[in-house]
Amino acid sequence: MAEVRLQDIVKIYPQIEKDKHSKKKHNLEVTEKGVVAVQQFNMDIKDKEFIVLVGPSGCGKSTTLRMIAGLEEITEGELYIDGELMNAVAPKDRDIAMVFQSYALYPHMTVFDNMAYSLKIKHMPKEEIRKKVEEAAEILDITKYLDRKPKALSGGQRQRVAIGRAIVRNPKVLLMDEPLSNLDAKLRNQMRAELLKLQNRIQTTIVYVTHDQVEAMTLGDRIVVMKDGYIQQIGTPQEVFNHPANTFVAGFIGTPQMNFFEGELVRNGEEYSVHYKNYVVRLSESKAKRLAEKHVESQSVTFGVRPDQMHIGEEGIDAEVEVSEMMGTSSHLHAKLDGKDVIVIVPTNGEESTDITRIKLSFSGKMVHVFSKEDGRNLEI
Amino acid sequence: MNKKNKMASIQLALTRVLVYAIILFLCFLCLFFFVMLIVNASRTNNQLQRGFTLIPGGHFFYNMKNAFADASIQIPSGMMNSFIVAASSALLTTYFSALTAYGLYVYDFKLKKLAYTFIIAVMMIPTQVSAVGFVQLVYKYGMNNKLWVLIVPSIAAPAVFYYMHQYLKATLPLDIVEASRIDGASEFGTFNRIVLPIMKPAMAVQMIFSFVAAWNNYFLPALLLTKAGKKTVPIMIAQLRSADYSKFDMGKVYMFILLAILPVIVVYMFLSKSIIKGVTSGSVKG
Repeated sequence: MAEVRLQDIVKIYPQIEKDKHSKKKHNLEVTEKGVVAVQQFNMDIKDKEFIVLVGPSGCGKSTTLRMIAGLEEITEGELYIDGELMNAVAPKDRDIAMVFQSYALYPHMTVFDNMAYSLKIKHMPKEEIRKKVEEAAEILDITKYLDRKPKALSGGQRQRVAIGRAIVRNPKVLLMDEPLSNLDAKLRNQMRAELLKLQNRIQTTIVYVTHDQVEAMTLGDRIVVMKDGYIQQIGTPQEVFNHPANTFVAGFIGTPQMNFFEGELVRNGEEYSVHYKNYVVRLSESKAKRLAEKHVESQSVTFGVRPDQMHIGEEGIDAEVEVSEMMGTSSHLHAKLDGKDVIVIVPTNGEESTDITRIKLSFSGKMVHVFSKEDGRNLEI
Repeated sequence: MNKKNKMASIQLALTRVLVYAIILFLCFLCLFFFVMLIVNASRTNNQLQRGFTLIPGGHFFYNMKNAFADASIQIPSGMMNSFIVAASSALLTTYFSALTAYGLYVYDFKLKKLAYTFIIAVMMIPTQVSAVGFVQLVYKYGMNNKLWVLIVPSIAAPAVFYYMHQYLKATLPLDIVEASRIDGASEFGTFNRIVLPIMKPAMAVQMIFSFVAAWNNYFLPALLLTKAGKKTVPIMIAQLRSADYSKFDMGKVYMFILLAILPVIVVYMFLSKSIIKGVTSGSVKG
């Protein structure tokens, strides 16, 4: 239970001489000192907050987590846990716990010993250890496996043991590095819900890393979206979803991905409208107000509309349907528009799939996100 | 179709016969000498000189009594000395090689590659070359006839280190080490409590090899141990061969050799239990 403060944290991996001329496989910035994996990370994590770091692989989210854990050195900046500077403190003295993607259970120990390991190191009395382990096992529903070795457990059970090992010591901060990515889809959904329940029960600060935006949206009190070492946006799931800071966040959060169009933003006094070819949509009042506050003038923009906000009707943008994915309650239509793939979600209403090929797409002015054409940032914020 | 099937089954049977014949031959090669040793150890000198047979004689305990009664060769002290040297070397060699391998595998430091190359380079130098200087050193400081002189240098065993390093690379996920650190263990604590148990099979294999090598080592002990009470078994066996021919008792010699290999067999049986596959299975997904 603690606050975590990350102040201007930077991680640079020194580059080995011979690698310098080899082709870059990543988009990270390379300076004289080396490859910058994390750039100027600033964040205050409140006590008992559930923070999710999310982004594509190689964005620096795991590196950030490992720096909080003390497994990676912090190149620049300062890390405070509960107000204490932690930069030079060894992982064992930080009073943190971590759940690894690979579980990292001790193979030669039983589940009980795996969970009791950290308590034994602290020389806790035996009775107390037993009590604590049994309590944690109870929460995670693994009491009957306490005498088994990890190899006799299924993936889901192993992951529970790994979580149990972490929560048994009441750490100040609980770190989780993609804990669900090794589980199959069904189990992952189930564990996700259980993690939420667990968070309510153990009341501790959690920093969670994932590449799965669904996990991020459902679990996080706040989400940190990262790309190429930079923070793209920090906010609640609603903020990130409804007001994405830029085209990257807009495209990354939400499935299927947001559709983007290259069009024109036209200002007419206090009113704004977006033009795509001959199709014109007037933006809602609230959107227009925010744009006016930012003194946004008429310009070429990229605008985005989520697939579930696209409608098929009598009027709108002409498009040709290429594929239709039947998802059960709805269908995802993949339409071709100026060579770009546009996805539209249409409810099936229990009917068999229809063979529509030519459609007209429309959307309301309330649901349009307007981004700058130059740097992709959201013009509303 | 039926004919083809029949041909195939005959072929399969023939292959099996051939395979078993080869296995039997190899078994014979391995075990025949042990059987001969036991048989010969139960026969008297006279019987032995009459020729070779597979039928055991009835003088097993007679030979044993003779062997232990020989004043010039003190079996109990020889065995004891050999055991002290072999067991200590085996323990120290495996522990410190594992520690070195762990250090070079887990930690990143500037001269890591150089250190690794250096250790492997040492492996290329034959014992006989370094022995010259070592023996001189030992005599100069009056350290001859001391068992620890044989034990301590065995700690540095590049070949064992190499084996351990390869084993770690194949079996130890770094996540486990990191998990242990986060759980609050010190670096030595992590090694002793987590890494050593995972390395148990490798430790057992190398302990057997080190034990046998130290037990059978003749070269250095022969140069360094000259006092009767300090001699190890291989030196004593060599002494038997140079003993007076008229008093030469072959039955006793066979008995002595049998006794000499016994501890090795016991150690092997004891340690081979630890050589089990897949100790890390179940630890990390992979």
